[in-house]
Amino acid sequence: MKNVIEVKHLTKSYKQNKAVDDLSLTVKEGEILGLLGPNGSGKTTTMNCILALLKFDDGKISIFGKEMAPDAYDIKAKIGVVFQEVAVFDELTVYGNIDYFCGLYVEDKATRAQYVDDALKLVGLEDNKNQYPKQLSGGLLRRLNIACGIAHKPKLIFLDEPTVAVDPQSRNNILEGIKKLRDDGATIIYTTHYMEEVEILCDRVIILDHGKIIAEGTNDELKALAKIEEKVTVEVADLSPKQLSGFEKIKNVDAVSYEDGVLKVVFGKGKNNLAEMIEYLKSNRINYSRIFAERPTLNDVFLELTGKELRD
Amino acid sequence: MTVSRAFWKIALKNIGTIITYTAILVTFGTMNMSANNTSLQYEARKPAIVVFNEDENVGITKSFVGYLEKNTEIKPDYKDDDKLKDALFYEQVILVLEIPKGFHQDLTFGNEPEIKMRSSAGYQAELAKVVVKRYLTTATAYAKLHLSEEELAKRVDATLANETKVEIKSKVDSAKYGKATRYFSFANYTILACVITIICLIMISFNRTQIRKRNLVSSIEIGKMNRILLKNCCIYAVAVWLFYLALGFIVIGGEIMLSGYGLIYAINSLLFCACATTVAFLISQLVANQNAVNGLMNVVALGSSFLCGAFVPAEYLPDSVLAFAHVLPSFYYVDTNNRVMNLESFDFASLWPIILNMIILVGFTVAIVIVTNIISKKRQKIA
Repeated sequence: MKNVIEVKHLTKSYKQNKAVDDLSLTVKEGEILGLLGPNGSGKTTTMNCILALLKFDDGKISIFGKEMAPDAYDIKAKIGVVFQEVAVFDELTVYGNIDYFCGLYVEDKATRAQYVDDALKLVGLEDNKNQYPKQLSGGLLRRLNIACGIAHKPKLIFLDEPTVAVDPQSRNNILEGIKKLRDDGATIIYTTHYMEEVEILCDRVIILDHGKIIAEGTNDELKALAKIEEKVTVEVADLSPKQLSGFEKIKNVDAVSYEDGVLKVVFGKGKNNLAEMIEYLKSNRINYSRIFAERPTLNDVFLELTGKELRD
Repeated sequence: MTVSRAFWKIALKNIGTIITYTAILVTFGTMNMSANNTSLQYEARKPAIVVFNEDENVGITKSFVGYLEKNTEIKPDYKDDDKLKDALFYEQVILVLEIPKGFHQDLTFGNEPEIKMRSSAGYQAELAKVVVKRYLTTATAYAKLHLSEEELAKRVDATLANETKVEIKSKVDSAKYGKATRYFSFANYTILACVITIICLIMISFNRTQIRKRNLVSSIEIGKMNRILLKNCCIYAVAVWLFYLALGFIVIGGEIMLSGYGLIYAINSLLFCACATTVAFLISQLVANQNAVNGLMNVVALGSSFLCGAFVPAEYLPDSVLAFAHVLPSFYYVDTNNRVMNLESFDFASLWPIILNMIILVGFTVAIVIVTNIISKKRQKIA
């Protein structure tokens, strides 16, 4: 697959603070690349540099094989951007807003009308097309924001935290829409600090912290970095110190914690860990109400690599 | 096309503002036109007086009463003093004069007689007193010549019979053009209000950081977009100008509007519209909040209208206010309108102050464009 975006040694500072530090990345055609990192990690700055909205100190950015610049209108014609903040005209209707932003790219009236209808359908706003933004709920407004960014059917789409402060129904709708865009052939860069979204959506993930890439790969490749195989959580009403210390002796157990009636046991490797846990609970006559096992998450990877939680 | 379409959609969304300010112009502008109506035609009005003559109606007294009959309107005697007081209060009678006994003798011998006068409060009472004083002063002056009473009366009558003919030389009917001047001067407020409010609201919408970012990442050249916006702002300003010009035809009449005077009013208001457009651009660069636009517009439009004599004639304004008003474009716009009203002829010497005002107005427009460009370029640098 061709590289749609190539970023080499990108550096951007705000006075003394390095927002992006010698960052290099590539985005392949047709993939969804997740840029994951806590607030202030440099995701949005990186995106704004790639889009030539920000001047950067050093590095080289090329999109579709051409160097990106503020006046690279041929490249911009193939790009769609959904910013984190809602960017719509309050004075225009839902349809009017999508039509305006689509019209910046598509001049033909009939084509544009079709594209606007497609965008309305994609985000599920067909019934709201004559409403004004102030009449929409937060979730619907976010959907409108997305429709305005992708209505012109761009080949490369930047989505900057499009689901912030969105209700679950709208979030599902948005994520389904993004998958549909990928299926239609678009390459997508998706920045977020919601690891669950990255796990559901992204083919490849780049984890950023303090403007640097700290890990890169597929979900599975990244989880392999976590050095844990499984986490077993058990709800236990009462546990004596002796019983608690007994868990540490189970095979492959790396760590045990017990807080507010919830016991967490981390297994470094091995299979059938859950079965061994149940066996141990039975043999020691420990009553429990609920037990479940989890694979490591990207948060565990981030924790492993930086020593802090993604949402810290 | 897309940008233009969005521009006019946003403008139409604010059509209520245009209608409101137009209604203000029509209502208050027409009221303003009816008021302060200065006419070239003059007709002297005689003050109404009541005379109680206790002297004999002979000689100089007869002459005095005859003079009063000629120069005032003598009301029949009010027998009832209360009724007389009411008449004075309601200014049905301006002055009550009591000619004392022995009046003719006192005056003939050069002693100014004591005349009792009661008057109403208005300026007409002072005028009536001047009329009385005029006779007494003249008579006292002649009395010093020790003339006979008959000769004295004859001399006083002859002197006071002299009249000065006053002729207004101006060919301009300032009442006729005053209406047009007041209409166009009042339009200072409505033009500023309509142009600033709408252009600011539209430009602030387009200048919002998120919208700007979205426009910046699009394939439309940002310079081209700015040119489209500027072009539409100009079209809007010209539309406002044409609208108020057309309204002027209805309110003032075609005779004035189709004359050379009308042409000057039209050119002056067009230049002012252009200046108002640049002011709107400047404000839209400085203010990001649409709610603040109305407040700021009122400060600019109302403030300049009051300070520059659009509402109150400049001659009633203190010198300090007028001195400050010189730094505002509205001053030159209103001053031109006032000058048109009194324009005698269309030669260069007469037109020069008007041309100078228009040059200053263009100068303001250019200066504001330069300042707006500097601010705009600074704002465009996101990084």
